[in-house]
Amino acid sequence: MELDCRGLRCPIPIIKLAQSLKSHPEVLLLSDDPATLPDLTAWSRMTNNTFQILEANTYLVKKT
Amino acid sequence: MPLHPVAAAFLEDAFARGWADPAKIHQASRKTALLFNEAKELFASHLGIRADQVEFLSDPALGFHLGVSGLLTAKGKYFYSGVDRSELFALAQLHDGQRLDVSLNGKINYPSGGAEDVLVWQAANGETGITSSAPNEFSGKVFVDATASGNLIPLPSRWHTALWNSRAWQGPAGIGIFAIANRSDWRNPLPHIDHRVSSFDFSIPLAITSAIALDNYVREYKEHQVNLLALNAKIRHFLLTQIGDVDIAGSLDSTLPHLLSFSLLYVDAALLVNELDARGITVDSGSACNSANMEPSHVLAAMGLLTHGNLRMNLHLDTSEESVDHFLRILKEIVARLRS
Repeated sequence: MELDCRGLRCPIPIIKLAQSLKSHPEVLLLSDDPATLPDLTAWSRMTNNTFQILEANTYLVKKT
Repeated sequence: MPLHPVAAAFLEDAFARGWADPAKIHQASRKTALLFNEAKELFASHLGIRADQVEFLSDPALGFHLGVSGLLTAKGKYFYSGVDRSELFALAQLHDGQRLDVSLNGKINYPSGGAEDVLVWQAANGETGITSSAPNEFSGKVFVDATASGNLIPLPSRWHTALWNSRAWQGPAGIGIFAIANRSDWRNPLPHIDHRVSSFDFSIPLAITSAIALDNYVREYKEHQVNLLALNAKIRHFLLTQIGDVDIAGSLDSTLPHLLSFSLLYVDAALLVNELDARGITVDSGSACNSANMEPSHVLAAMGLLTHGNLRMNLHLDTSEESVDHFLRILKEIVARLRS
């Protein structure tokens, strides 16, 4: 599933991501908010999920 | 934090008695000189330096440049960390600095360094309150950033330059204290024609007022320290057990008792700060939505902590358990609403 959060500010991308992961095992997150990378790092640690940076502003997030 | 009430009461007197130039020979000047020397003695005894090492800066931020650039030679490397003040990041561009990583609990592995190298040692972080162990393994020169810790953390056994901010002890803004351990290690990086550290003017009445604030703060902090620690522990316990999904910076035993930073998952800090403000509770935030440049706190990001939903608490010395309970009750209610 692709989740386009470009133009949205924190914490909206992380909130939308968590909602999307309820019904999808993988989410391709597009986000250009400067807080997204540090927040994805902290969020994945806090919720035991994983993510990869595919390219700038593009993240593949997996539910574990 | 507001100006210390004793300092606020003394402020007018300081301007009435400390207005003259202490270097002149008039009676008024001698009065000012007397007060000013007493103030220097107070700073020296509380900060662990000699009275002749006390230098005043009207802009404490200037002390970062004086402290680092004044020690650095062409052969030396400059080491700073991801949780240091932005002024020290700016100096890294000037000196091609090497940034040290910070772990999730705020720990920094200091290099051993060469004799000409300069390291920033931040005694405590102003956002999170996390304290650092002294860089005893570093063999170069050490600049101590005590702007947040004030008198609460003593200078390490080896230090070369140090900076304090009067605000740390509820003193007036616009006063920094700068010290050089040994003048032979330091060269003035500012344009200068004499031995003075800075030719910029500073307010002697404010410096005297700051000393009064420090003298009172030291005594009161000792009285309230146990209470502050208990309140800090209570807030941490409540956040983890009653609110959840929270990222707290540092452990209780590694932070200054009156400071606390935590981030609440899925919460918009700007909404939270505004709602708390409307209920009479003033807190700060390191979240991007609450910053002037819309960037998240570089301190939280460097440590790998959650940057959204962040609150920074500064517990006043006289904070009561009832006011903390009141805050926690309101916080739980607002967070539940914002998360729903």
